[in-house]
Amino acid sequence: MKNLFSRRNFLKGGLASTAAVAVLKNKESDASGDFTGYPDGMGVLVDLTRCVGCRSCEAACNKEQSLPEPDKPFNDFSVFDELHHGQKRRPDEKSYTVVNRYDVPEIDHPLFRKIQCNHCQEPACLTSCFVNAYTKTPEGAVIYNVDVCVGCRTCMIACPFYIPAFKYSSAFDPSIMKCIFCYDTRLKEGKPPACVEACPQEALSFAKRTDCIEVGRQRIRQNPGKYVDHIYGEHEVGGTAWMYLSGVSFDKMGFDIHLPKEPILNFVKDFLAIVPMVLTIWPGLFVGFHLLATRKEENKKHTIEQNTDEKEEQV
Amino acid sequence: MKLFSKDRPEIPIVNHLKNDGSEWTVKEKLWLGLSIPEYKKQFLRNPINWFMILIFAIGVPLLMQRYLFGLGTVTHSSNDYPWGLFLGFGLFAMVPLSASGFMLGTTVELFGRKDFKPIERLALLNGLLGYFFAVLFLEVDLGMPWRLPYPMFVSLGPAAVLFLVAWHVATYLTVQVAEVLPAFFEWIGWLKGKRVIKKWAIGLTVSGIILSTLHQGALGALFTYAPGKVHPLWLSTNFQWILFFCSSIFAGLSMVIVASTLIRNFMAWRCDDTFKDSLDTITVGLAKGSSIAMITYLVIKIVAIAHDQEWEYLLTGWGSYYFLELGVAVVLPLFMFAIGVRNHYVTLIRFAAFIAAIGIVWNRLNTSLVCYNWQLYQEIPHWKEVWITVTIYALYFLTYRFIVYRLPIVYGWKGEK
Amino acid sequence: MQTGKKFLKTALAITLGVTIISPNTLLAMAAEDAPETITIDSMANLYTSVEFNHEMHTEYASCQECHHHTTGAIVAAPNCARCHHNHDENDIVSCSGCHVANRFSEKYLVTLEKPELFHIDKPGLLGAYHLNCISCHEVTSGPTGCQECHTMTEAGEKRFDTGPFSPKAGKNVSEKH
Repeated sequence: MKNLFSRRNFLKGGLASTAAVAVLKNKESDASGDFTGYPDGMGVLVDLTRCVGCRSCEAACNKEQSLPEPDKPFNDFSVFDELHHGQKRRPDEKSYTVVNRYDVPEIDHPLFRKIQCNHCQEPACLTSCFVNAYTKTPEGAVIYNVDVCVGCRTCMIACPFYIPAFKYSSAFDPSIMKCIFCYDTRLKEGKPPACVEACPQEALSFAKRTDCIEVGRQRIRQNPGKYVDHIYGEHEVGGTAWMYLSGVSFDKMGFDIHLPKEPILNFVKDFLAIVPMVLTIWPGLFVGFHLLATRKEENKKHTIEQNTDEKEEQV
Repeated sequence: MKLFSKDRPEIPIVNHLKNDGSEWTVKEKLWLGLSIPEYKKQFLRNPINWFMILIFAIGVPLLMQRYLFGLGTVTHSSNDYPWGLFLGFGLFAMVPLSASGFMLGTTVELFGRKDFKPIERLALLNGLLGYFFAVLFLEVDLGMPWRLPYPMFVSLGPAAVLFLVAWHVATYLTVQVAEVLPAFFEWIGWLKGKRVIKKWAIGLTVSGIILSTLHQGALGALFTYAPGKVHPLWLSTNFQWILFFCSSIFAGLSMVIVASTLIRNFMAWRCDDTFKDSLDTITVGLAKGSSIAMITYLVIKIVAIAHDQEWEYLLTGWGSYYFLELGVAVVLPLFMFAIGVRNHYVTLIRFAAFIAAIGIVWNRLNTSLVCYNWQLYQEIPHWKEVWITVTIYALYFLTYRFIVYRLPIVYGWKGEK
Repeated sequence: MQTGKKFLKTALAITLGVTIISPNTLLAMAAEDAPETITIDSMANLYTSVEFNHEMHTEYASCQECHHHTTGAIVAAPNCARCHHNHDENDIVSCSGCHVANRFSEKYLVTLEKPELFHIDKPGLLGAYHLNCISCHEVTSGPTGCQECHTMTEAGEKRFDTGPFSPKAGKNVSEKH
């Protein structure tokens, strides 16, 4: 494709974008949907049947990540009744993870669900970022680099789990706020994230992603009737490093069960595919149109001249 | 302006030379050939200007608040709705409305339709300003506006759709500056520059159409990152880029009709006879082009629904809203265009163009705000956010007017070109 | 776990004595041989240690409900009984003997990689306590709140931004719309 471009460099204006697309093409093949994640990437299996809503994970996260002081103490359970625009709590600029309560009629006790970044195998935030602020590390974390971020917030649009939040309160030092799997302080050294370590119920199990799936399957198999036969995150949006087991159907726990099984990037590929086509076909096509359109005019001029010539000859 | 041009034949300026044979200085040209008290007088007697002053009196402090205390103080700072009016209107609506530049550039320069020549410059200017102000809106919305060049030079993420938008809008902005420059060169009287650019005209126009196709489409493709969030009737991941591109065609054309109508009615002193005389015919021509784009758009809309098997959504409340949007914003102006073209009802066409332009804004706001997060809740923008949006748009209006007042956009420069 | 160790020694002595003379079914440890209370303090940091009244708990639960197969009693859980149906008493019966404190340390995770290992999902010490205690307390109406078993230390209050470290009312409540 590159050769074709350089042979046909008859358009100065097109060239700048050609270069951009040449890069785009290479990168695209790297980040294609076939990427199934780093083999030794770590993951966390969240067993919702175990969570008792103690919010220890929230407290641990707050201290580990030096997040701002919360609005209410972490042992204040009135937060479970909070609704913002009719929605339960979500991660924001003060918290990377939150626990929400779900009252499911068929279960006599309340259920809880912890949410945080799921650390997708092929993250939508990463693929949508035009300054490469996101990185999926071989350890499995999706980390964010505030130093290159321009604050366009496309990652927040792209994230199917509504995870990244923006520090709207800051004019001079804003940033995306998002769980980074405790990458800098823990994961990098092989340690589990702070929330996992803090969970008294071991509702969070930290292991290689592949082992998490194995353990999840084993729990489902060995406890008939206890779990729904599905590991949420095994395949959702191409797979996530954080996965969930639940005793009741996932939609009752606030999960989006209509998420595609393929990475979000696959939905964008239709457009990405036309880019090189437009870049290669358009110049020829429109210059062709131009020549056709103006030739008619020239012909006309020519014919008029001929006609006048003929007339003159006749005279 | 009428006031002064009556007894001073050299005003409005259309020539390098005054009646007495001396040359206008650039400063005099900037003041429209008026003395400063005269200029002040014409400025103050225009009610639009008082309205603008009101907008800016509140808007500028609000903008300062945004830059000093953060986006959170002027918007509803929502993590669920990361994009509000600044982008929903400023980027997603301004850009299609500015598709006029490449549309008429292509028509005149590539297809050799010289009959559209009188409006070409207005279309190019409309494009340039629209894009420029879209970038300005972006600068209001970005968390770190001082890092605007980062995606170009500092940290590149070339696999992202927004990367494409950034590069293409930037290059296209350059192309458009080049396309409008001849008018500026005529005005300042630097003809060598004009001749150089004239040589590039075809190249610029072709790169214009490439870049436009891609980034108009790319704006649509941005929403394909959120397949689960935008209502399926407003998002077809396969066709989104075509829909956005196709609708930008009639959006741009309609916007030129709207702009030319306003200029024709409120700035008649600035228009020359060629512009005035040919405008009706041109408007009909533009309407014809719009109608074809609209029909194509409607067909693709139906194909998209059929392709994604979304018929059942049409029976819901969202479906009714969808029909309302398509009916009012596309089908109605389409019929008005058709009747107008057939019977040469230019006023009807102008009215239809106005509806179509608003309709595109409506469609883009629907895609980016109203039907976004349709399963969660609807966010209503903060009044300050609305005011800032209006302020930037007012600045756009003023800049537009400033340039049309001066440069040979709707009139031909007399004398040496 | 001071008391736990004493208990262990006794258990060991009893086991050695009993194995020679008794048939298998009688191998089970007697509850009265167990210590009266156990101080669970190995992880006390955010919370004070727990004085666990072992004697009282034997009235609510059978040995195997907490000690699984290690006390020689017949294991009820069918999944465990597949292998541990006729298991002898173990030398080690304390919780921490099997459930490690650093459940997710890199070192421990490596040991789970052994292909012959069946127990890849054995809870750590923290999980073992809470999973077992709370699930039973829910059924028997025992205490289930955090501070009903162990009160928070100052470090805990700091961690949870509570008590003297509570956020000042109104100070941090951002303007919500």
